[in-house]
Amino acid sequence: MNCMGATVVATADPLRFGDPFGPKANKVRWVAEGVVDGIWQYGNALGVPNMAGDIVFNESFDDNCLVNVVSLGIVRRDQIIRSRAPPAAGEGGYDVILIGKPTDSSGLGGVTFASEALREEDEETNRGAVQIPDPFLKNVLFKANDDLFRLVREEGIEIGFKDLGGGGFTCATSEMGAAGGFGMEINLDDLHKADDFPPEVLSIAETQERFLIVSPPELRERILKIYNEHWDLPNVYEGARASVVGKINTGDRFTVSHKGEIVCDVPIQHLTGGIRYQREEKARVIELTEPDIPEPADYNQVLLKILKSPNIASREHVYRYYDTEVMGNTVIRPGEADAGLIAPVRGENFGVALAVDSNPFYGRISPYWGGATAVAEAMRNVAAIGAVPSTVTDCLNYGNPEKPEAFWEFREGVKGLSQACKDLWLKGHMGQAVPIVSGNVSFYNESPQGSVDPSPVIACVGIIKDIGKAITQELKAAGDKLFLIGPRFDELGGSEYYKTIFNVTGANVPIVRFDLERNMIYAVIDAIDEGLLAAAHDISNGGLAATVSEMALTRPAKLGFEIDLEKALGIGASASMRTDKILFSESSGFVLEAKPGKEERLLEILRGYCLDPMEIGIVTKKRRIVMKRASETVADIDLDEARAAWTSGLAEAMR
Amino acid sequence: MKIAVMQFPGTNCEHETLVAVKAVGMDGEIFRWNRSEGELSGFDGFFIPGGFSYQDRIRAGVIASKEPVMQALLEEAAKGKPIVGICNGFQILVESGLLPGTGKIDMALAQNVMVSKGKIVRRGYYCDWVNLRHDAPSKRCSGSFIMEQGSLLKIPIAHGEGNLVTTTPKLIERLNEQEQVVFRYCDRNGRVINEFPVNVNGSTQSIAAICNPEGNVLGMMPHPERSFFAWQLPSFDPRKQRPDAAGPGRRIFESVKRYIEVSA
Repeated sequence: MNCMGATVVATADPLRFGDPFGPKANKVRWVAEGVVDGIWQYGNALGVPNMAGDIVFNESFDDNCLVNVVSLGIVRRDQIIRSRAPPAAGEGGYDVILIGKPTDSSGLGGVTFASEALREEDEETNRGAVQIPDPFLKNVLFKANDDLFRLVREEGIEIGFKDLGGGGFTCATSEMGAAGGFGMEINLDDLHKADDFPPEVLSIAETQERFLIVSPPELRERILKIYNEHWDLPNVYEGARASVVGKINTGDRFTVSHKGEIVCDVPIQHLTGGIRYQREEKARVIELTEPDIPEPADYNQVLLKILKSPNIASREHVYRYYDTEVMGNTVIRPGEADAGLIAPVRGENFGVALAVDSNPFYGRISPYWGGATAVAEAMRNVAAIGAVPSTVTDCLNYGNPEKPEAFWEFREGVKGLSQACKDLWLKGHMGQAVPIVSGNVSFYNESPQGSVDPSPVIACVGIIKDIGKAITQELKAAGDKLFLIGPRFDELGGSEYYKTIFNVTGANVPIVRFDLERNMIYAVIDAIDEGLLAAAHDISNGGLAATVSEMALTRPAKLGFEIDLEKALGIGASASMRTDKILFSESSGFVLEAKPGKEERLLEILRGYCLDPMEIGIVTKKRRIVMKRASETVADIDLDEARAAWTSGLAEAMR
Repeated sequence: MKIAVMQFPGTNCEHETLVAVKAVGMDGEIFRWNRSEGELSGFDGFFIPGGFSYQDRIRAGVIASKEPVMQALLEEAAKGKPIVGICNGFQILVESGLLPGTGKIDMALAQNVMVSKGKIVRRGYYCDWVNLRHDAPSKRCSGSFIMEQGSLLKIPIAHGEGNLVTTTPKLIERLNEQEQVVFRYCDRNGRVINEFPVNVNGSTQSIAAICNPEGNVLGMMPHPERSFFAWQLPSFDPRKQRPDAAGPGRRIFESVKRYIEVSA
């Protein structure tokens, strides 16, 4: 991100861990706490706020957790720096400059390791493949890089700049050269290194905190000075510095010398050209049935159990470890709403919203709907604070693609994402898909016990023109009316209710009704823009019951509510729908708290989008969660009791 | 009126701190640790912002405190110029002996230990919004110069080591007597309750900020630059509804400005 010349302004961390109460509970908890520690220790020290994230626990991640992190940067369009040797680099004999940590042997074969199915007996061998990051050095490098970017802007000179990632030095150098259409000579003796490693180690070790610059010789001294003197890398971090390690030429070969010997001399395009695979796909046969379950006698206990479930409970135990405030741009922080919001440019009123989503339980039943619902929910999350979904990025986590079923899951997931981005098009640009601007694919997420549930993790970025209009999810004032949009369907497959209460998966996975979904998202954005809503929260895991309860449980948690489930039966729902299905169906939708006096206008907007708004209840001064059906009480819980369950669930699953 | 916002390797709050300095009408710039320390005498006041200077190696703040610029800053402090250390800046001030001002390392900002009903409920890093009560009299300290005694401040914390402890006998009593305790953690009504979550990090007597005996040097764990605008406040704070308004943390920066004006 920083290599594009951008300032990194936010991160989000969708995480997937195993079953914290299952047979591998101890390991799962150790992994979960360790991952969270790693994220906060790196991100906080780097000084980038963590604005969103989610955590899902399920047994398919017992042996293979998923740690996805998305970061958001901001750069002026005319100041983007490319990761390729610039056009003048060949004739000009541009320098290749390596900056950062001294190359060591860490992370040797790192990406390859991460892409293999894990086997326990290989643990010792694999350890060396783990990259060792250092946020402190990264923080200093970011600032030095900013000085470099300023220098080249002032001089009006185009450079190439790239982060060293998977494949290490060889990958970054050859890609930069090949992307510019040039050859390159490298001398490994000029690399700053932690020890006298053999040339193959120097070439492919994945030592972290390194960057590569391709720049004209006349800037050489000034660039070296920025890193080696102003930012004093050699004294800040042992062995760190900027070194000139090679030259660009007009040829087409990638030549590497080491101790006077040519150790590599190949056509540069050979190193970077892709390989085309032919993969087979075969639909995975999944036996799915809807369970025949009795209706619960005590809904209070059911609701408390769901609120305490580690997949529903408040994420506070984790996000208190994260610096959500650094940079001073934070408008809405984790826990306050479905998405985080920053105001990244001082003096401007616009804000940037960020949310992440993916439900592995849905992916297990239908990889296609798992993909489509992930996009829809991430967009709903952003819309719930009033921001317009503007772009999407993905991290596609699947099993071994050499297995036809895993490859089928991957294809289905991509089809679902693609369909959702097309049919939930950009607001104001009918038919124009929401773009997926970047992404990552992670295969081989499996162990001998099986692969992870299909997990296309989505991050959605939204824009709001005026941060003053953004709203949060907590109930605001007694007497306010609560509206539901999105009819309840019999869609409890993969639901929190089925798994937590009955330990079954079910079959009826929530689908995305694209026209309805788009209309809901747009209507909520418009209503917030007109200042009609006091609060909004999207319906997802745990259904209507968990959604409306969370609105009461979110700090300051001073108000209760009373709703009538009979009124939640919209046009699409059957009047005989069972109470548990109304409460816990995970069909998409929103719960909206209208500002007093604004109800008429709100209804007008909702109906204008062909929606069927349902007035389901009212915010109460009495601090109780009250749910009725017609005149019969279904649930009636003290808010403090519910809050105790909701706030303790995650800590108890992770400690 | 010119302010230096100090920058060590690993500092990460210098930009927003500079924004706040300039927003109250002071001139300012970021001062990199390896610039000539002689240049510091050209400034009227100093902020040491938060972050992880030198990666918290050995202890938070200790390596930065040994830098030549800190020696120069000691001399500027002796001239009565205001210095406000925020978070890691507070830790650096303690390690340099500027706070509590005995010239020695008399106290430590230890790991957070959250205690409730006699039990440790959590340890380490914590980020949340807290309330502070201004316990020093008005004009006692540079960084709270314009604040009335007893006034409240809503402000975020984000640190792993802010738990003020000391083994020096009677040090806390002396800080209390000499009105060097500038802020304490309190609830939203100003009550100090020496238990998590009101005492958010286990600090002795809920102390969040102290000054030196002269009052020109202030160290505080919470981040005033992050509550400088009303739009930065948490959603449940009613002031959030007026996004153009000033946030509570602005008073720290206005105080420094007023202090410099008065001392001139």
